[in-house]
Amino acid sequence: MQKVLSAAILSAITLTSVSAYSAQCTNETWNRVMERGKVVVGVKADYKPWGYRNESGELVGMEIDMAKDVAATMGVELELVPVQSSNRMQFLEQGKIDMMIATMSDRKDRREIVGIVQPNYYTSGTNVMAPKALALKEWTDLSGKPVCGKQGAFYNKIVEERYDADIVAFTGNAEAKQALRDKKCIAWVYDDSSIMADLASGNWDDFEMPMQTEDDNPWGLAVPKDELNCVFGKFMSGMQYNWHQSGALIELEKKWGIQATSYLEKQNQRFGDWLAE
Amino acid sequence: MSARRPIPGLGAAPSTDLPVLLPFDRGKGRTPDIYLATRWLASLPPWTPLLILAVMLAWPLVAHAQGRYAYSDAFDALFRWMPFLVFEGFFFNILISFLAMAIGTVAGAALGLAQISLNPMLRRAAWFITQLFRNSPWLVLLFIVLLAFPFEIVIGGVIIPIPDWMKAVFGLSLPIMANISEVVRGAVQSVPTAQWEASESLAFTRRQTMWQIILPQCFKRMIPPWMNWYAILTMATPLCSLLGVEELITLSRQAMEGEDNHPELLVPFFGFALVIFFMYCYPIARATIWLERKYSVKL
Repeated sequence: MQKVLSAAILSAITLTSVSAYSAQCTNETWNRVMERGKVVVGVKADYKPWGYRNESGELVGMEIDMAKDVAATMGVELELVPVQSSNRMQFLEQGKIDMMIATMSDRKDRREIVGIVQPNYYTSGTNVMAPKALALKEWTDLSGKPVCGKQGAFYNKIVEERYDADIVAFTGNAEAKQALRDKKCIAWVYDDSSIMADLASGNWDDFEMPMQTEDDNPWGLAVPKDELNCVFGKFMSGMQYNWHQSGALIELEKKWGIQATSYLEKQNQRFGDWLAE
Repeated sequence: MSARRPIPGLGAAPSTDLPVLLPFDRGKGRTPDIYLATRWLASLPPWTPLLILAVMLAWPLVAHAQGRYAYSDAFDALFRWMPFLVFEGFFFNILISFLAMAIGTVAGAALGLAQISLNPMLRRAAWFITQLFRNSPWLVLLFIVLLAFPFEIVIGGVIIPIPDWMKAVFGLSLPIMANISEVVRGAVQSVPTAQWEASESLAFTRRQTMWQIILPQCFKRMIPPWMNWYAILTMATPLCSLLGVEELITLSRQAMEGEDNHPELLVPFFGFALVIFFMYCYPIARATIWLERKYSVKL
């Protein structure tokens, strides 16, 4: 009798745990992707060299290469959907895209909306490009001054609140840079790696990146929030772990001419195979 | 000899105390000109694109180059991107304008006829819808449609995706519908009432009167305002770029990003957009104003 009872209890426990698991993980997106044999990835079309268009209109870039690898590993076709900073999370919530690799900074408030998968694949900080003539030194020098920025960047608000700068946000970077040149603002706030690339191009000789880089913020790719701890999220975790371990991200960085970041180097060592030569 | 009295207007300054009809004040007593934008566009000389081009080329004289990236590099970039911008960018502007006009015309004609219906409920409802969409900002309508519409609909297990540009078509067709509704209502009401009375005396029913007598007379006078709205609609399609729909302006931005966002790119790329829109809308505007003059009621 006792045996029967304990067996009954045990099976009840297993049943509830199974049903709890299945309630948690419907794997809806994953199953849909597998069913139609196509994964829809949201990428940037306005963020060179992570995601942009070439002259024939195809989307190319470092993140597009990553998306291709994801689709190839899953064994499905890849469809790329260009997203913008302002609509990328909505698209994922609506199910218009299955996942996104779209230069998104991994922020606490964003984790409440979408499932940002660990470990982060990249990181960048905030800095400004300013004319050398102004000789800016500290972030506090921006106080009360107009500063150009790009719409949708999370650090616009931070710079505004922390240093009391007046952010003038533009839809495109070309417009923001033109405004900087026209002296409509004293500095242009953006990702440090992108500013470094501009300064290295020789077109901005009268400009500098004077501040200490701030808010070094990891980037995160995202799957729907419900599937973060399910098949899709765990699969993407594995993808990122493998990219770090194999050094694939460092190679992609080189391929797309992005200045090498110490973050990728560190991750590569951290996740390195201890038995490898 | 008594002194001769000078004659006002000849020997003296003109003066009178008689009531006179003052010259017609063009600024005051006029109804708003619905052709305002089109008339302005049509009044530009045909060589305007050349002028724009000259300004584009002369630009570096005003804003001197500051880096190694020369202005001619920016023009080279524009030429490389041009096929993509035209066939995958401007093509969508035209497609959106065509479809929005088609939907707006059909829906607007129905709404316009409903506005002159004998059924008071129907008439009031049609009036309300017309005024609502005629007086709402286009961008607001676009936002609502783009955010509220689903990105795909499922009908009997078949998934039909609705791309963003299709949603833009619906969004833009709403104000067009309302304005065409007013065009139809206005055209029907501009037909002299004697026509109605005459057909009634000949025992035509209301439907027969409308379809066989009134509407055929309206058709001609509806063409200029209809074309006017098409030109306005086409010029409004770049609004969609604010919502991320992939058309000429959105793709121009992406192309500039692909060319490293040099500020030198701004004038050639947006200048090109200006020229191509002008070349498309200008003939329509000229034809509209010509037809408007031709069909206008001579008093």
